[in-house]
Amino acid sequence: MDIFTASLWGITGAAFIASLVKDKQKTFNSMKMAKGMMKNMVGQIIGILLLIGLILTFIPPEVIKSTLGESNTFISTIVSALAGSITLIPAFVAFPLVGSLVDAGASIIPAVAFLTTLTMVGLVTFPLEKREFGLKFATIRNIFSFVFAIMIALAMGVIM
Amino acid sequence: MKIIEIFKKNKLLTAVSLAYVILFIAIPDKAYLSVKNSMYYIIEMLQIMPVIFILTSIIEAWVPKEVIMKGFGEKAGIKGSVFSFLLGSFSAGPIYAAFPICKMLLKKGASIANVVIILSAWAVIKVPMLANEAKFLGVQFMGARWILTVIAIIIIAYLMTIFVKKKDIPVQDEQDIGKVTGIDIKEQYCIGCGLCEKLLPRHFEVIDKKAKWKESILNDVQIDELKPVIAKCPVKAIGFK
Repeated sequence: MDIFTASLWGITGAAFIASLVKDKQKTFNSMKMAKGMMKNMVGQIIGILLLIGLILTFIPPEVIKSTLGESNTFISTIVSALAGSITLIPAFVAFPLVGSLVDAGASIIPAVAFLTTLTMVGLVTFPLEKREFGLKFATIRNIFSFVFAIMIALAMGVIM
Repeated sequence: MKIIEIFKKNKLLTAVSLAYVILFIAIPDKAYLSVKNSMYYIIEMLQIMPVIFILTSIIEAWVPKEVIMKGFGEKAGIKGSVFSFLLGSFSAGPIYAAFPICKMLLKKGASIANVVIILSAWAVIKVPMLANEAKFLGVQFMGARWILTVIAIIIIAYLMTIFVKKKDIPVQDEQDIGKVTGIDIKEQYCIGCGLCEKLLPRHFEVIDKKAKWKESILNDVQIDELKPVIAKCPVKAIGFK
């Protein structure tokens, strides 16, 4: 276990004990919630992790580099941002997937674009958003979020 | 019947497992290699997954959301925006879970800008998720993306106030109590927490992790009984119809 994960366990352990001391019942209820969340997501997580293995085995790094790499940034960024807008997977399972592609040679610009639109832009949830906040709010918020996701991605490309 | 349902719920896992089964029969070498390639990510995920879910749940239990919600409105200025960031960052669940809560805050006088901040922060800035991002993509990557995202959210919120005014947002008129015919539960938002069932088992029942309204004719006393339950629903999924 790396230092980062270990310290996260340390912090969470301390928070858990503090929570337990303060209110036993509340802590047990929150653990029930944690268990429920995990149960809901575990199928998806294992599915994505096994998919990573298939991708790394069957798609050679050269292909990942040429389609998602530095030479092809513009189109791959737009396509990744669109893909992020239409998919509805929790960011939680997206991080290892994106991480594996970046390790295999993908540029971080499309990676960031995908991660940001994945959470901020929602075409699948658009009808819900429209019903609660109206067409104008939902449309403009999603368009702005899309445009800014690409700007964040480009800025990340400059910084990193 | 039950097995089919399990497959239906886990479409991705089913498809990937099927691919593996075929692969193990056809080209076992490649199948072993795939498992080996996945192994690193599975081990890393097993180390960090429980801690993230536990942390998320502890935050959800202890962060006083009601206090934060009271902290802002139209006039709350920078303080309101900071509270909006906090509310979004410390809440669990996907972006659409924030819709009914934001709608309620709008009704109570929160500004468009602050609602946009809550929605966006809710979507992208989660403390436990940042830990996950740092794990798989590096601390530097996470930090840089976090700073850029916060800046972007502030700009988006400001731009939204130019284009969208409060009158553009649909409001359901306050229900005339005399015309209440029952209870409406928005299933997409219900998380099946069971709070309504616990408080009023006569009226609510959780079936398949969704709260259901037990049909009955309401009188004034019962409507008064239902009001606090509607207010207490953590995802604001209950309303009169």
